[in-house]
Amino acid sequence: MWRLLSLSPGTLAQGEALQEAPEPQAFHPLESPWEPRRAGPSPWPEPLYFVDGKEREEALLQGEGLALLGCVAAGALVHQGGRMTLLPPLVRRVGVGLAEPLRVGELLYEPVAAEGTDYASLRAGLQRVREELEREVARGLSGGLLLVDGPVRFARPGGLPLLGYVKTHWARYLPEGEEALLQALSPGERTPAFRVRRGGRELASWYLRLPLLPEGLRPPQAGLLRVETPLEAPFSELADLSLGLFPDLASHPVKDPRAPQNLAPIGALEWALGRRMGSQEVVERLLRRHLGGG
Amino acid sequence: MERIGVVLGRREATPLEFWVGVEGEGLLRLDDLVVVEGFHPKVGRVRYFGMVDHVAKVHEGEAYDTDTFLAVAGRIPVSLAYVAHVSVTRILPEEFFPPDPGSPVYLAQGLDLELALYYDAMKNQKGSTRLPAGLLPNGEVAYLNLEFLNGVKGGHVNISGISGVAAKTSYATFLLKSLLESGVLEDAHQAKVLLFNVKGEDLFFLDKPNARLTEEAKEAYARLGLPATPFGSVAFLAPPKKEGYVPDLDTRLEGVRAYHWDLVQFCQRGLLPFLFADRSAMSNLGFLVAHVTERLRRLAEGQKGPGLLVGDWPGEELPEEVNFDALGKVRLKSFAHLVRYVEYKLLGPETGEGEGDKGWVARQARGTLEAFVRRLWASVEGVGHLVRGDRPGNPPDPLKGEQVHVVDLAKLSPQAQMFVVGSLLKDLFERKERGQYRGRVFIVLDELNKYAPREEEGPIKDILLDIAERGRSLGVILIGAQQTASEVERRVVGNAAIRVVGRLDAAEAERPEYRYLPASFRQRALILPQGAVILHQPEIPVPLLLRFPFPAWATKREEVLEDNSAEALRRELF
Repeated sequence: MWRLLSLSPGTLAQGEALQEAPEPQAFHPLESPWEPRRAGPSPWPEPLYFVDGKEREEALLQGEGLALLGCVAAGALVHQGGRMTLLPPLVRRVGVGLAEPLRVGELLYEPVAAEGTDYASLRAGLQRVREELEREVARGLSGGLLLVDGPVRFARPGGLPLLGYVKTHWARYLPEGEEALLQALSPGERTPAFRVRRGGRELASWYLRLPLLPEGLRPPQAGLLRVETPLEAPFSELADLSLGLFPDLASHPVKDPRAPQNLAPIGALEWALGRRMGSQEVVERLLRRHLGGG
Repeated sequence: MERIGVVLGRREATPLEFWVGVEGEGLLRLDDLVVVEGFHPKVGRVRYFGMVDHVAKVHEGEAYDTDTFLAVAGRIPVSLAYVAHVSVTRILPEEFFPPDPGSPVYLAQGLDLELALYYDAMKNQKGSTRLPAGLLPNGEVAYLNLEFLNGVKGGHVNISGISGVAAKTSYATFLLKSLLESGVLEDAHQAKVLLFNVKGEDLFFLDKPNARLTEEAKEAYARLGLPATPFGSVAFLAPPKKEGYVPDLDTRLEGVRAYHWDLVQFCQRGLLPFLFADRSAMSNLGFLVAHVTERLRRLAEGQKGPGLLVGDWPGEELPEEVNFDALGKVRLKSFAHLVRYVEYKLLGPETGEGEGDKGWVARQARGTLEAFVRRLWASVEGVGHLVRGDRPGNPPDPLKGEQVHVVDLAKLSPQAQMFVVGSLLKDLFERKERGQYRGRVFIVLDELNKYAPREEEGPIKDILLDIAERGRSLGVILIGAQQTASEVERRVVGNAAIRVVGRLDAAEAERPEYRYLPASFRQRALILPQGAVILHQPEIPVPLLLRFPFPAWATKREEVLEDNSAEALRRELF
C-alpha cells in the first residue's frame, strides 16, 4: 500500500546551490582565428522543427520504498510555409520506483524502474523518462533542421542536422584567455566553434549573443546562448545559420523573464505541453482523494 | 445532420444557454440554429434547440496582444478558438437540466429547424397558421403564428425604426401581401385594409408592378409562397385641392378619387372633436366641444346634405352665396359658414355685445366660448376643403369596394391629418362594434407617436387605445409604426403581440421599450441593412432576424413598370 508523503515535491527541492564551475580541462578550437564572427542573413531551412519536453512531479509516495509520481510531456513545433504549427504532443504519467501500474481515479501511472531509492535518483529517473520521450518525438520528425531546448543528448537518424541550445551556463568550456571574447561579442555575433566532449559524444559548440534592447542595465552574460551540434555535421554552416535563426526567435523581457534566451516558440510549446498535462489542481485533488489520509 | 462543434466545458453550460466550440472547417454565424442532444439515465434523451446570438474568435495561448504579430510571422504557434454562444429556444422533452460539455452540436435543418422555432405549434383545428414573415439569414422561410396577428390569441403589430432605410412601410406592406395572398388567413378575401399614406406618395403605386424587381427577389417571393405581383384591388383616395375637386397629388394622376365630408355628415357623425386634438390643453373646452358636437348632431338630424339647413340665421349680414331655401331656412355651403354659424350661436351677433344662444353656450364663461371659436376659426384654413357644403360628401369607406384603401394624408396640415385619421378610425371602429362588417380590418398607421403620444390626451388616442385593447376581439387589427416606441402610449405598444424593429437610433435602442430584445439584437438593430428587420413574436423566446424581398409593387413613379405590350396599347386606344 502506498501512502501520500507530499504533493508536488518538485517545488520543495528548489535549492540547488550555485557553484563555481571549475576551469575546463581541455580546449580544442575548430575555427580560427579566435575573434567574433558575423554572418549575413540566410533563409530558414524547411521544415524547421523545435522539440522540448516538460516534467512535473506530482506526488511522493511511501510504501516499501519511495516512489515519485509524475507527468512528462514532449512535443514538437514545425515551421513550414510561414506558419508555426504544433504537432500532437506525447504525454505520459509515470511512477518512478513503482513495480506495477498504479491507478489513481482516472489517472494511470506506469511503472518506471529507479536506479536508486532516494529522492534524487527518483527525480533523475523522471528526467530520464522525459529525455526518452523527447527522443521519441524527435524520431518521428523527418527531414529539415531540428532545434532542441538544452544540450544535444541524442543523434537524429541518418545524420540529419540538429542544434541544441543552452540558456544558462553552469559549466565553463573556455579557458580564461578565450573567455574574454564572450564579453566582447556584440549582438548578432558568435565565437568560433570549439569541440566539446560529453558522455562519449563529440560535439561542436559556439556562443552567440542575441540582440538586446537598448534600454536597461545588463550583466555581461545577458543574451548569451551556447549552441551545439554533433561534430559530424557541417557545423560552421550551422553556426552561421544560427546567427540568423536565434535572434529572430528571441523572446522579449516584457513577456518572459528568461528572455531573450528563452525562445518565443519554445515558450509557447511549454505552455501547450503544460496544458496537455491537465490541471495540477485537479490532479492533486484526485491524488488526495485516492491516496490521502495515510 | 451537419456536426458543427461541441458544447464547451470551460464555460458554464446551462439549460438556457451554453457555449459551443466550432471545430475544423465549421461555420457558425449569428442567428444560426443548432441542436444538441443530452442524455441522463433518469430522464433519457433530451434535445436542446437554440439560436446563436454571439460568436467570437480568439487566439488561445497568447498572453499578450503583441503575440499576434509573432503568430502571424509564424514565430509562435497558436490555436484558434472559434466559439459561439447559444440561447436555448426549446427543450424537448421539457427537462431543464444542462447539456454535457463535449456533447456534439449539429446545425438545425429541416425538421429540427421547425422544432427550434416552434413551427410545429403553429396550427389550429383547420390547419397551419404559419404566415410567411420573411427569410432567415440561412435562406429558410421564417414564419409567424397568424393566431397572434389575426386576433385569435393576440393581435396588432408594432414596427419601430428610423426613417429612410425602408423598414417600416415596406415591411408593413410586405406583411399585408403575405396576409392577403399567402392563403394562410382563411377569410382573406373578406379582409379589408386601411392604409394611411403619411409621407410622400409612396403608397400610390401599390397596384403597379415594380420595374426594378430582380430575378433574385422573384425567387425570394417564390420561396415564401407569395406571388411577385402588385396588390390587385386597391382604391386610392386623396384630399381635394383647396379649390375644386381634383385630388391633390403630384405623381399619380389616374385612378385616384378625392375624398371629403359634407356638412351634414360632419354634424351627424360627430366629427367636431377631431378638430380639437390637443384636448389636454383645455378643461372646460372639452365639455363645450362635446356639447356643441351634440348640438350639431341634433341640428343635422333628418337632413340630407350636402349643405346644412339652419333656421335661425339672422337676416342681416348674409354672405352673397348663402341662399334662402326651403321653408325660409338658410343653407350653409361651406365649413367657414358653419364656423360662422357656430360663432353666432355661441357669441351672438357680431355687432354689439350680443348674447349667445342659451341652448348652445351651456353656461360657459364668455372666455371659454371665445377660445372655442378662435380655435374653430383657426381650423378653417386646414380643414375647409375636407368638410364642404356644396357637394355630397364621399369620405373614404374602407369596408366597401376594393380590398385595400390607401388614404393620403401627406399634404394635409397636422390638424387635418388628425381629423381624417380620427374620423375614419372612429367610423370604422363603431361599425365593426355594431357588427356591420364580418371580415377582418387591418389598419396601417405610421407616426403613432403623433396620434397616440405617451404624454398627451386626445380623442384619437382614445380611439387607438380602444382599438389596441378591444380591437382584436372585434377583428380590427392595428399595424402601427413609429420611429421611437418610447414616445408612444405604452398601452398601444404593449398590446401588440408582434413586434418588429428596423434600424434604431443608438439612444432609442437603450430604452426600456426594447428590453424584450437580447443585448446582441439591440446592438444589431443599430446596423440593420435595408430590407432586414428583427421580429419578435410571443411563442418564440428569441427574436428572429429576417430579410424580406424588395417590393413587387412600385414605391415611386420611376419604378412603375410601363406596360407597352400590344394588348395594353390596344386597350388604351380603342
